[in-house]
Amino acid sequence: MFKDLDPILHSQLRLAVVSLLISVKEAEFTFLKEKTNATAGNLSVQINKLKEAGYIDVVKQFKENYPQTVCRITPFGIQAFEQYVKNLHSYLSVHIHPGPGKDREPQ
Amino acid sequence: MEEGKFSPEQSLALIQSMIDKAKDSAADDSFYFLLWGWLVFAASTMQYVLRVMLHSPYHYLAWCLMFVGVIVSTVHGYLQHRNKKVRTYIEELLNNLWIGIFLSYVFFGFIFARLGWQNCYPFFMLLYAVGCFVTGRALKFPPLVWGAASSWILAIVSTFTSYETNMLLSALAILLCYIIPGHLLKTRFKKMHAHV
Repeated sequence: MFKDLDPILHSQLRLAVVSLLISVKEAEFTFLKEKTNATAGNLSVQINKLKEAGYIDVVKQFKENYPQTVCRITPFGIQAFEQYVKNLHSYLSVHIHPGPGKDREPQ
Repeated sequence: MEEGKFSPEQSLALIQSMIDKAKDSAADDSFYFLLWGWLVFAASTMQYVLRVMLHSPYHYLAWCLMFVGVIVSTVHGYLQHRNKKVRTYIEELLNNLWIGIFLSYVFFGFIFARLGWQNCYPFFMLLYAVGCFVTGRALKFPPLVWGAASSWILAIVSTFTSYETNMLLSALAILLCYIIPGHLLKTRFKKMHAHV
């Protein structure tokens, strides 16, 4: 049965950030910016939304006198991502392989 | 990246492309294989030349080359760590594996200094193989796994041969285990990054 897609994750930039973070232990803001081709301002807003939802942890620190932002996905974020992918698959299976009788021509 | 509505198909494609991009960010792992491979190769052959051809009582001094490896690895590791923007689980696992292997070499050094060096080479070859096998499986890179297999076989062979011959077998093991796979790994890394 198809369930609604998580609105926090069903946004291109937020989904891109979570997909990057699911594959690594942690990543710097500059890495996420480089890989997503997003502007710093937009990326910062979306990272805050993910943080508020509890999907990622954000640590702000200093590295050689320069500010550094490090992001990592939380267990709750991993759970939400897995559920999102499951829902995507169920949505696609309903729409690509509809159940018996749905798209059949009347005899 | 544009914000807005996008289809579930586009979502899956985006997830896949980001996971691929994260994979491409893996560091060039060939550096340490090539550094230690050539150093051990040089030390093994140098020790053979000093002991067998020049009959020097100081043949073991060839292994002082390992200090060069420790210094270069420490500096390179520090610079790599400083410039790193992303950390992966696999890198962390492999770092810990190689630290463990390095410590095992140090402890073997102590053990063989106490018990005698005559039987050291089969054990060193086993350690070459373990690191290469795990790294090869983790990076899905068969040349390292084949290198590990050849080093395991050479470790068994070296129990039938003399201490002097084992110096050359050690050089052969490191050539098959570290140097050749190291060069192939470097080529793979360059190819991967040529497509990015």
